[in-house]
Amino acid sequence: MPGARVVAEHLSRRYGQVLALDDVSFEVEPGELLALTGPSGSGKTTLLQLIGSLDRPTSGSIGVDDIAVEQLSNPTHFRRSIVGFVFQLHYLLPALSLQQNVELPMMAAHVSRQERAERSRELLKEVGLEGRAQDHPSELSGGERQRVAIARALGGFPRLILADEPTGSLDTAASHRVWKLLGDVRDRRGTTVIVASHDPSLTEHVDREIHIVDGRLVPPPDRASPAGGGRTAAARHES
Amino acid sequence: MTTLLQTLSSVRYSPGRTFLTALGAALGIATIVALLAVGNGARHSAGDFVHLGASDLALFQKDAADPTTSVLPTSLIPEVRRTPGIADATPLVLLVEDVPKDPSAIVFGAQPNSFYTSRLVFGAGHMFSAADQIVVGDGLASQLHLAVGDQLKVHRRPFQVVGIYHIGIAYQDSGAFIPLRVAQSILGRQGETTLIGVKLAVGTRPAAVEGTLSHRYPGIATIGTPEEAARLGANGQLISNAALVIAVLALVIGGIGVLNTMMMAVIERRSEFALLSAVGWSGPQIAFRVVMEGVVTTVIGAALGLLLGVIGAHFLIDALGAQQFVAPRVTAWDLGRALLVGVLIGVLGGLYPAWRAAHLSPAQILAQR
Ligand SMILES: Nc1ncnc2c1ncn2[C@@H]1O[C@H](COP(=O)(O)OP(=O)(O)OP(=O)(O)O)[C@@H](O)[C@H]1O
Ligand SMILES: [Mg+2]
Repeated sequence: MPGARVVAEHLSRRYGQVLALDDVSFEVEPGELLALTGPSGSGKTTLLQLIGSLDRPTSGSIGVDDIAVEQLSNPTHFRRSIVGFVFQLHYLLPALSLQQNVELPMMAAHVSRQERAERSRELLKEVGLEGRAQDHPSELSGGERQRVAIARALGGFPRLILADEPTGSLDTAASHRVWKLLGDVRDRRGTTVIVASHDPSLTEHVDREIHIVDGRLVPPPDRASPAGGGRTAAARHES
Repeated sequence: MTTLLQTLSSVRYSPGRTFLTALGAALGIATIVALLAVGNGARHSAGDFVHLGASDLALFQKDAADPTTSVLPTSLIPEVRRTPGIADATPLVLLVEDVPKDPSAIVFGAQPNSFYTSRLVFGAGHMFSAADQIVVGDGLASQLHLAVGDQLKVHRRPFQVVGIYHIGIAYQDSGAFIPLRVAQSILGRQGETTLIGVKLAVGTRPAAVEGTLSHRYPGIATIGTPEEAARLGANGQLISNAALVIAVLALVIGGIGVLNTMMMAVIERRSEFALLSAVGWSGPQIAFRVVMEGVVTTVIGAALGLLLGVIGAHFLIDALGAQQFVAPRVTAWDLGRALLVGVLIGVLGGLYPAWRAAHLSPAQILAQR
């Protein structure tokens, strides 16, 4: 499944008096791994929710390939099979096994029981949790839970992964693994990935960074990093 | 179906609360089952009541509070006998709660040569032939350890037991017969009877005779079938109305219990339903899941309630002191109805919480800062 192209044009989102996003426009290439940075309260979560159809913009438009997200009257198909979410908190259901958790989006999409089982085992293997399908979330470390959440996000073969501070509550080692996993997903599947993050180590892992302050896009601060911004997925695939 | 399995596993979130809710539904359903069982039993026995001995029809006073409180003049009998299609008619007086040692035993006042008494089969002794003689059913005899020659008091009068019979009708085998006139004098009602038993001529349709009689005697209820017997008597009506009210209350209370539990579950697990919405579950899919949780809870409750209800029916009958009149009967249809009610409670109680869960907006809930 190739990655999606994301095009945001003049996006604004107002909550009462607060202008959480103010005329934001940008493009993300298919297969790009993009970091969305900015101080707390700057509008990162708001932006991801608009792209993922969890919220609607006050004005402006979001295109994910040929889908006008802000116009979707019934976003269930979009959520099931175009986009995959990873939140800061894993939101795994404690009563369900890891396999059942990973299967949740597939259930909504009426995937057969057998195919669900195959896919979820495959996905758990992909995130390094092979053989733990019947475990429950309480038996896992924070980093492992976040990897299950990534497996869940991949269940519908999405073209776009939206991750909101996926390493926000993880230690350095676990964060590193999650970053690596997101990079692998992009490399192997070509999925477009947008990650909102405070994590200072992110520049090692991403192609490009966009920075947002008080709801407006501004140039990213200079980071002393060998990777720099701007390495596109295309460039990476060529190398 | 898989969603159902999911549902079952999510009942594990709070097994204690699930159990208590199920118990609430169970008590409601148990009440319904017990009332149905007692009602059935009573109706069945009322049927026996009509066909005491060999009568085809029984005439009672209309609007009597209860069949045993009916009063009819015996002077009607010759006239009834002359009615075309009627072979014989005979009075029967019922004395209730007049045997101090066993208040549930009924004492029947009958003529010794009537069709009521001619069918009694004596295991010991013989039919009464004097005013102070009594014949008792084998059920009552074994309960009170009576033998021929013993004494039995009925309404403070001593009687001598002269025979022990069996006839195969619950009321009569656990009761006793005394002469009609003696029973009338105990009641202080000379010339009156509780009911008049009617034997039809061979080949007569009961409905035709019932029509004639009810036309001629508007104040008389003619009972030919157990169903009609169940309709007779204001007390019976009162009980069945009360049962209906209690059943509806039980339903409402069970439903509110489920509503409350599911509402709490939805509030507590907002993030779960928001997550489901974020990964593409539709509103109806989420709502179905919530309703099914309620239904699973109340079906567990229904199973428990059936058990409690069947046990409860026996206790209820004991408490009413009505063992001799009523044997609880639980039919498959009763069980089916109770299960149906369980499902209904679950669905009704789950609807509003389901609607709420389906309309949660995922954005704010999942944006943890
Ligand atoms: N539902 C809401 N109602 C009112 N204001 C909101 C709501 N959601 C967000 N905001 C406001 O919009 C602004 C942007 O919030 P947002 O959550 O997008 O920031 P963020 O960049 O994700 O911050 P953080 O790094 O702390 O997660 C903030 O001022 C916030 O208070
Ligand atoms: Mg945020």
